[in-house]
Amino acid sequence: MMWKERYRIGVDLIDNQHKELFNRLSNFIQIVQNDTHWEDKMDDVKKTLDFMKEYVVYHFNDEERYQEEISYPELEEHREVHANFREAINEYVRTFEEGQFNEKKIKEFAAKLMTWLIVHVCKMDQKIGEYAREKGGKV
Amino acid sequence: MKAEYVNSFYKATQDVFNLMLDLDVERGNIKVVEGLVSSRNANVVLGVTGDLKGSILFSFTKDMTLEMVRIMSGLEMKTIDNFVSSALGEVANIIGGNALTNLTCYNYICDLVPPQVIIGEYKSLSMANKKALLIPLRTDIGEFDINIFIAENE
Repeated sequence: MMWKERYRIGVDLIDNQHKELFNRLSNFIQIVQNDTHWEDKMDDVKKTLDFMKEYVVYHFNDEERYQEEISYPELEEHREVHANFREAINEYVRTFEEGQFNEKKIKEFAAKLMTWLIVHVCKMDQKIGEYAREKGGKV
Repeated sequence: MKAEYVNSFYKATQDVFNLMLDLDVERGNIKVVEGLVSSRNANVVLGVTGDLKGSILFSFTKDMTLEMVRIMSGLEMKTIDNFVSSALGEVANIIGGNALTNLTCYNYICDLVPPQVIIGEYKSLSMANKKALLIPLRTDIGEFDINIFIAENE
């Protein structure tokens, strides 16, 4: 299980999306890492990759909207980090679409996505939860 | 070699291990070594440029590397493939980034060169007869080293 209770920030909407994101990423890593021949799992990899790409954007939008609702003071900084990450994902997707859809590159992408998400959820997103709690959970 | 360099990297390592792996890191006795040398299997080299110049080497055993990636992914890893080595490189890169932030407190402004992961033994001896520092570190899942070989840019 990739999701861990210590990743929880205490805001249900965001926690549930994070859980979904980690579950999907875990699924993606399992497909990328299983022993099946690369050509045979290509369709599965592409499908999961498409989902991940869309879900990350969907989640970022919801998370930013929530920050707006609670007048989170670090929204702009958070938005910028999201934008940089979205751009990094798009760059990988462009590389894959240009035909460099190889096992090595996909594994690198999966590893970066994993480490980035863990750091982001454990560090920046925790601050949203802290702020919401300070405000007495009122949004 | 100034204590600020060691403290910045040690603190960054503690913070990142705690954050990403939920592990505490303890420091052993620092040694002076002839250059960047590792007999461990999984090594990451980070270049530092700017006010300080040089390299940092992180050295892990294969077992520890696989366990670190298992903790993050929740999945058993059998070999150090490109997924595992990329994840290890990223962890080192994040530590490096945090260390550079710590160094700004001492008025050093630096940049990182992207990580280079080397599977197998690593050896890069100093040509200028300058010494490196080796920080031995201990966690519940194994021991690893950080070699620091940086100096003020002249």
